[in-house]
Amino acid sequence: MTETVTAGQRVAPGTTPVRRARSRRRRRDTLIGLLSVLPALVLVAALMWYPLVTTVYHGFTDWDGVVTKWVGLDNYRQLFGDGDIWQYLRTNLVFFLSIPVILVISLVVAVLLHEQTPGARFFRSVYYLPCMLSVAVVGLLMRSMFAPDGMANRSLSAVGLGGLATDWLAYTVTSFLVLILAFYWQTLGQGALIFLAGLSAMPSSVVEAAQVDGAGWWRRLFRIVLPMQTPAISYFLVTNTAYVFVGLFSLIFTVTRGGPGSTTVPLDYEIYLSAFQSGDLGYASAVSVVLLVLVSIIAWLQVRNFDLYSRQGGR
Amino acid sequence: MRSATARMGRLAITLALTIVAISAVYPLLFMLITSLKSHGDYIRSPISLPAHWTNLDNYTAMFNRFDVGRLYANSVIYVAAAWLICLAVSLPAAFAFAKLEFPGRRLLFVALICSLAIPTVTFIIPDYVLLADLGIIDSPISVILLWSATGTPGTVFLLAAFMRSLPSEVIDAAAVDGAGYFQTMRRVILPMSLPAIVTVTIFDVTGWWNDLLTPLVFLQSESQATITLGVATIVTRYQSDLPLLIAGLVMAALPPIAVYVVAQRYIRRGLVLGAVQ
Repeated sequence: MTETVTAGQRVAPGTTPVRRARSRRRRRDTLIGLLSVLPALVLVAALMWYPLVTTVYHGFTDWDGVVTKWVGLDNYRQLFGDGDIWQYLRTNLVFFLSIPVILVISLVVAVLLHEQTPGARFFRSVYYLPCMLSVAVVGLLMRSMFAPDGMANRSLSAVGLGGLATDWLAYTVTSFLVLILAFYWQTLGQGALIFLAGLSAMPSSVVEAAQVDGAGWWRRLFRIVLPMQTPAISYFLVTNTAYVFVGLFSLIFTVTRGGPGSTTVPLDYEIYLSAFQSGDLGYASAVSVVLLVLVSIIAWLQVRNFDLYSRQGGR
Repeated sequence: MRSATARMGRLAITLALTIVAISAVYPLLFMLITSLKSHGDYIRSPISLPAHWTNLDNYTAMFNRFDVGRLYANSVIYVAAAWLICLAVSLPAAFAFAKLEFPGRRLLFVALICSLAIPTVTFIIPDYVLLADLGIIDSPISVILLWSATGTPGTVFLLAAFMRSLPSEVIDAAAVDGAGYFQTMRRVILPMSLPAIVTVTIFDVTGWWNDLLTPLVFLQSESQATITLGVATIVTRYQSDLPLLIAGLVMAALPPIAVYVVAQRYIRRGLVLGAVQ
């Protein structure tokens, strides 16, 4: 077969049979390549790209699933003009502002784990356990723990802090506390593992050199170890920022259902509500477009970070 | 003197880590303990230990009253079908992106990777309308299609990243031996990519198992529900009997936890893929 000629790559170039074989191989690669990616692209195009385009279109319409009526910017006017958007975004922002705290907790836990204490492997395994659970399961568990006569209130009474017991999900502030607790519980393990990987990837020579220079533990931590964790930190920040803007649906659905009132409704839950509860598909599409713009910005940040650090790492 | 402070430091660290570990595990233990209690036990004291550790009444009630066996079977069948479709389209695509030269390769790959960031909720409405027009609403097919489509970009990305590091010489050698496309796939690519396939399988499968939004939107009949959808909607209606609901939560959570216990290594590797290169 002619392919045998090209098989051992980098055979002396320029000779005609080789060139001919190569071009035949290229044509074969093109055909096989296109046929190979076709099924995946068809699946994604049919169920993600095409519907996405229609979402953008339907954002300008009044749509009930059957009849479509062009209304121009009406949906956006309602969203921005009437200020609905800020109500939903506020929920996302509360979660967003809670990220630094869990970042620090995860980082501290990872640094401690990295100190090679006995049982570090065991701890590492245990911390990640909650991350395996469905957000829906965690949400329902939290909801039952923070019910009026649930475990939280009973525990507070048992240790003499009964005065702190409250109907957690009846107030906005305490509802957010419960939601963020659930978020933290499922994020700690992920964060600790990410940072632990980052710490382990650190060349030990750098740290040892500083040690020889007489730098103490704290000094080494802040001057050398933490700055080297910037890629891991930014990865953690970006993935969790994405989560708090697009992934809150299951948590809200199972813990507060957006209540009390609609004070804990984030963007993605509002899309579900207006589409599948009120049947206002046009408005839901407009909210989807806003969410999409936000996601694009976050994704752009992610790509930029990735480029930045992989280029640094390559050097 | 120095070693004494060092030992104290060690002790303090272990103590801190233990406290964090307890808070990470406590809700899980609470779940397990509560599921073994009777309703009366729970009302008397939600924080005490169960009177009888072998009281499995809540679990048998889950089977008798909510047909949990059915919900489990649904979840397993839907996830398995989505996994088959997703891998069937992703493996050849990943191979082509990693090892073949063809026009539009870069552009198509970037387009697929960008789809990773698109949240399902932004296109689930037109998908619902589309599938309703085709008459496959309230049918497992809709959920299976959605899962396999949304899982594809990530699966291709991870598999392609892995396949790029496979030695081209081996693949070329197979071609020399006269192996056709499908033979090369089955004899060379598949076995060599096994670690990556295991990793994506774990992430895809647990993700689908835990998914609430897609089955919630597409499945209306209780008999079609997945276990996650089932505990979140059907069982929640009986919220007055909390230990029963929590037994349901334990049943939904057990398979992912079992996966974790068995495949920890792969999960750790997959998780940090994006964090450190």
